[in-house]
Amino acid sequence: MSALGGGFRSPSTPSRNRPHGNLAALRIAVIVLFGILTAQLFNMQILQGSDYARRSRENHLTRKEILPPRGLILDRNGTPLVRNVGIYTAVITPTFLPEEPEARYALYLRLETLLGVPALEIQSRVKEKEADGKGDIEFPIKEGLTKEQALALEEMTADMSGVALSIQPGREYIGGDAFSHILGYIGKQTPEEYRDLKGEGYSLNEPVGKGGVELTYQEILRGQKGATAAEQDAQGNLLKALKSRDAVPGDNVRLAIDVDLQNYIAEMLVDSLPNPVTMNQKNATQAAAVVMSAKTGEVLALVSVPTYDNNIFAQVAQRGAEYEELATNNATRPLTNKALSQALPGSTYKLITAAAALQEGNITPSTSRDIPSRILEIKGENGVIYPLVDWRAHGSGIDLTQAIAWSSNIYMFMAVCGIPNGSLQPHKAIGKDVDSSASIFAYYQRAFGMGQPTGIDIPGEDIGRVPDPAWKARNYAGPEYTDNDRDWFYADTCFTAIGQQDVLATPLQIARMTAAIATGKLFTPHVAKDILDADGKVVRTIKPDWKSVPVDEANLAAVRRGMHESVLAGAGLRAQVPGMDIAGKTGTAEFGTQRADLTYDQHAWFTGYYPYNDPEYVVTVYFDYGVGGDKAAPAAANIFSWMNQNLK
Amino acid sequence: MAATFGPGRQSGVFRGWDRFDYVLVLSAVGLVVFGLLLIYSGTYRTYEGPPASFANPVTKQAIFAIFGIIVMLAVSKIDYHYLTHYSPVLYGISLLSLVAILLMGHSAYGSTRWFNLGPIQIQPSEFAKLATILLLAKFFSAHGGDAKDLRTLIFSLGIVAPCFALVFIQPDLGTSIVFVSVWLGVVLVAGVSRRHLFILAAVGLAVLPFAWTFFVADYQIERISVLVDPEEDPLDAGYNVIQSQIAVGSGQLTGKGLTNGEQTQLGYLKVATKDFIFSLQAEELGFAGSMVMFSLFIVLLMRGIRAAQIAGDISGQLVAVGIVILILMQAFINIAVNLSLFPVTGIPLPLVSQGGSSLVSIFVSLGLLQSIIMRHRAYRQT
Repeated sequence: MSALGGGFRSPSTPSRNRPHGNLAALRIAVIVLFGILTAQLFNMQILQGSDYARRSRENHLTRKEILPPRGLILDRNGTPLVRNVGIYTAVITPTFLPEEPEARYALYLRLETLLGVPALEIQSRVKEKEADGKGDIEFPIKEGLTKEQALALEEMTADMSGVALSIQPGREYIGGDAFSHILGYIGKQTPEEYRDLKGEGYSLNEPVGKGGVELTYQEILRGQKGATAAEQDAQGNLLKALKSRDAVPGDNVRLAIDVDLQNYIAEMLVDSLPNPVTMNQKNATQAAAVVMSAKTGEVLALVSVPTYDNNIFAQVAQRGAEYEELATNNATRPLTNKALSQALPGSTYKLITAAAALQEGNITPSTSRDIPSRILEIKGENGVIYPLVDWRAHGSGIDLTQAIAWSSNIYMFMAVCGIPNGSLQPHKAIGKDVDSSASIFAYYQRAFGMGQPTGIDIPGEDIGRVPDPAWKARNYAGPEYTDNDRDWFYADTCFTAIGQQDVLATPLQIARMTAAIATGKLFTPHVAKDILDADGKVVRTIKPDWKSVPVDEANLAAVRRGMHESVLAGAGLRAQVPGMDIAGKTGTAEFGTQRADLTYDQHAWFTGYYPYNDPEYVVTVYFDYGVGGDKAAPAAANIFSWMNQNLK
Repeated sequence: MAATFGPGRQSGVFRGWDRFDYVLVLSAVGLVVFGLLLIYSGTYRTYEGPPASFANPVTKQAIFAIFGIIVMLAVSKIDYHYLTHYSPVLYGISLLSLVAILLMGHSAYGSTRWFNLGPIQIQPSEFAKLATILLLAKFFSAHGGDAKDLRTLIFSLGIVAPCFALVFIQPDLGTSIVFVSVWLGVVLVAGVSRRHLFILAAVGLAVLPFAWTFFVADYQIERISVLVDPEEDPLDAGYNVIQSQIAVGSGQLTGKGLTNGEQTQLGYLKVATKDFIFSLQAEELGFAGSMVMFSLFIVLLMRGIRAAQIAGDISGQLVAVGIVILILMQAFINIAVNLSLFPVTGIPLPLVSQGGSSLVSIFVSLGLLQSIIMRHRAYRQT
C-alpha cells in the first residue's frame, strides 16, 4: 500500500464504522425537488407559454400608430376649403409629477407664466384627478396652444417631469363662414362614438367628422392609419425598426359647390336682410338659397344665413363665450342650416298643385276662370259661409299660365279642391270627395319629393310635411282635441294647394321640386361631385340619381309656361335679368297670428330656373320675413346674373 | 489469482482508475458545456474583444472548467481521509475568510460575497461549504455510534452554526439554507433521533420571528414580498422577477433558439449568465432544453448518491451525502428563484452559471466523490 492510498485509517473500529445510512430518502428528495421544478416549468412554458410570449413581445416591441393626413375638401374648381393643422395641447400626467409639493407648485407657476392657466387651478385639477384614482392618465390643462406656446412648452418639458405637449390632428376651415353648414367640423370621438367605431379599427385619438361633409364622407376622408414597430431594449433604446406601414392619406372630396358663388350668395343674402320695402314687414333675420344643377342634381351653392365660423369648434377653449352665444341664440339659430330647415312654402307649392290638377285632368292648360273678387265664399257642410281669400281680384278669363304667373289662389283652389258652390261657377275637385281629393293631391306632393328626405349628402335635413287626412287625425289624436279638429275639411286641401297652413318644405325640397318641374326628373341632390385620391386622380364620381315624376311632359310644359310668364310679366318680374331667359315662381307664405291690420308675417320665396328652354340651373331663395316678389325675386335675380357672368 | 491482480495490486497513478465514475464526470462536463453555450449567448453582444482572451467570459469559464477538471482529478487521487483529517484547519480558514469578507469584501445587489484577487474574484463561502461537510463527516465518523445522543446532534449544529451565521449576515439567505440542508441531510443519514430533530425544529420555529426581526435584511423582506406580488414594484425589486418570468414562460416548448431570446439579448433579464442563467436557458432552449438539463443534474446527483451508497466508511458516506445535498440544494434554489418559487437570492446554478469559484469548488466536490468511489473497497475490507 502506498502512502497516498493507505494511511489515515479511521480511529474507530471497523464494525462501528460501517456505513448504515438509508439513502432512499435522498433519491426521493432529488426526484421530488426536480419534479416540483418540472411542474412549475410546465405550467409557465406550456400552459401559460403563449401568454408569456405575448408579454415578451409587448416587452420589447414598441408599436406606434401614425394617423393619416385627412383628405381635403375642395370646391368644384379644386380650391381647398380646409387645411390640416396640428392642435397643440398641454397635458399633465399627475403620477409623473415631482413628489415634493414645493417642486410641484414651482412647476405649476412656470405653466401659469407660459399658458396663462392659474397655478392654483392646475393644482386643484391635479388633486381632483389623483383623488379619482386617475393619476396615471394624462389630462389636458390647456388646448389649442399657439405655435409659440407649443415650442416653448416643448423645450420646457425636457426638465418638467409629468408635463407633455400633445399634438392632435385638426382642421382649419379656409373657405369662409358661408361653408360652415356644408362642411361641418371634426373633433374628438365621444365615448359613445368610440364604442361604435372601435370595431372599425379607430383609435381613440383619431378625430372624426361631426356634421356636414366631414361626417358624411368620414370614411373617405379618414385614410388608413400607418404604424411602426421597433425593437426596444431594457434601457428604452430603439434598436431597429422592424416594420413600418405608411399611413395612407384620406381621399379628397371635391364638392359641386362653387366657392365664389357660395360666398357671393352668402354676402348678398346678408346684405338683403333688411327690408327696403315699405309694407309693414319686419326685417328678415334668416335666409337660405340653393343653386342646383337641373341636369344632375348636384348642388352648386347651399347657403344659410346667418353664417358662423366653424373653426370655433376646434377652439372652444379660447372662444367659449362666442360658442355659447351661437349655441343659445334662439332668435336666428345660426348653427342650423336654413337651406335644410322646413318652413311654410307658400305659393311655390302651386307648381305641384297645377301639375297634379293637369295630370288628373281636372283642368287643362286652357281652362280659364273669371275671378272678379278676391274673396271666394264657400258654404260649408254646416251651412256657414266661409270666405277663401286671394291676394287680389285677378279679373276675367284667367288661364293656367296667368294663374301661375300672377299666383292666383282661387284658381288653384278650383284646380284641386273644386268649387262645390258659392260665389263662382262650380267646378269638380280632383277626387270624388274631400278626403280622396286630399289623398290624390298628397300623392303628387310626395311624388315631387315633399315630406321625405331629399337624400342630400349632408346630415340633419328636415323632412318637411305633407298634410293629409291621416296626418291630421294623427296630429290631433290627443285628448285635448275634438273630432272636429281631427276632421279633414275642404279648406284644408285648399290651403295646402297654396302652400299654407300645415304644409312644410325645406328650400332644398323646393329647389328639387323645381328641377322636377323643369325636367321631369326628381334628383337626389348632392354637394359632393367626385372623390379624388391624394394625387388628384378621380377615383369615384357621384353619379346623378333621379326618378321620374308621374306627370306628363305636356303638363309640366304648361306649368313651365306659367313660370316663364311670371318672370316675364308676372309676380316674379323682379327676378328678370336682361339677356337671360328665366322661369320662376314666387311665394309669400303667411304665418303666425293675424295682426291688427288683418295682415300676417310672411316668408318670402322665389324658386326658378334658367335657361327656360333647356333648364340647366335651379335657384331657390328663402327669407324668413318678406314678400316673395319683392324680396326673394330680386335676390334670385342677383344670383342668376352672377352665375350668368361668372360661372365657368 | 484474481485476488492477486485485484485493485490492491495496482500501483502508482493508475491505481483505482478502473473504478473512476465516468458517468458522473460526463454529466458534469455536459452541464459545463450547457453553461458555456448559454454564457456565449448571454455575452456575445456585449463582449467585443478577441475570443481567446481571458476577458472573454466564455474563454474564462472554459479555462476555469479545465482547471476545475484537473483539480478534480488531483483530488480524486487524494484519499479523502487526508481532507477529513485536516478539515478542522480548512474549516478555520473558511471561517476567517468569511469574517474577513464582511469587513472588506465587494458587494453586489445588496450583499457582500467575494474578494478581488487580481482578475479573479473568490467567494470563500463556496469553499466554506466543503470544509463544513468535511468537518461534519469527521465528527460523525468519530461519534458514529452515538449519533442518537442529543449532545452529538447539538455539537454538530455547533459546527454549522458559525458558517450559517456568517453567511446569513452577508446577507445570503440562499446559502444559509444550503448550510441548514446539508447539516440536516448529514445528521439524518448519520442516524440521528427523529425525536431530537422535532425538538430542534420546534425551537427553530420559536426563534424564527426574532431572527426575522433582527437578522433578516430589509432587502430580503422586499424580495420575499416581491415574489408574492412582483407587479407591486415593477421598477425595482420586482423587475427581475417579472422579467425572468417572461423569459421562462415565453420560451415555451422548444425555446426561441440560442442567441435569439429577446428577454436576454435586449437586456431585460439581469445577471443573465449568473444567477438567472436558467431563465436564459428556458427562454432560448425552452421546456425541451430544460428537461435535458434536469436529466443531466439527476444523473449527476444519482451517481453522487451511488457514491454515498458504496462508500467504504461512514466519513466517506457522509461526505458524499453532504456533497449531493450541496449540489441538489444549490441547483434547486437557483432554479426555484428563476421560476419564481423562491425569493431572489444570490445562488449560482452549479456547473452552469458563469463564475470560477463555484465551478472549481463543485469540481473539488466531484473529485471528493471520485476519491470515495475509487477507495470504497479498500475501506470496506478493513
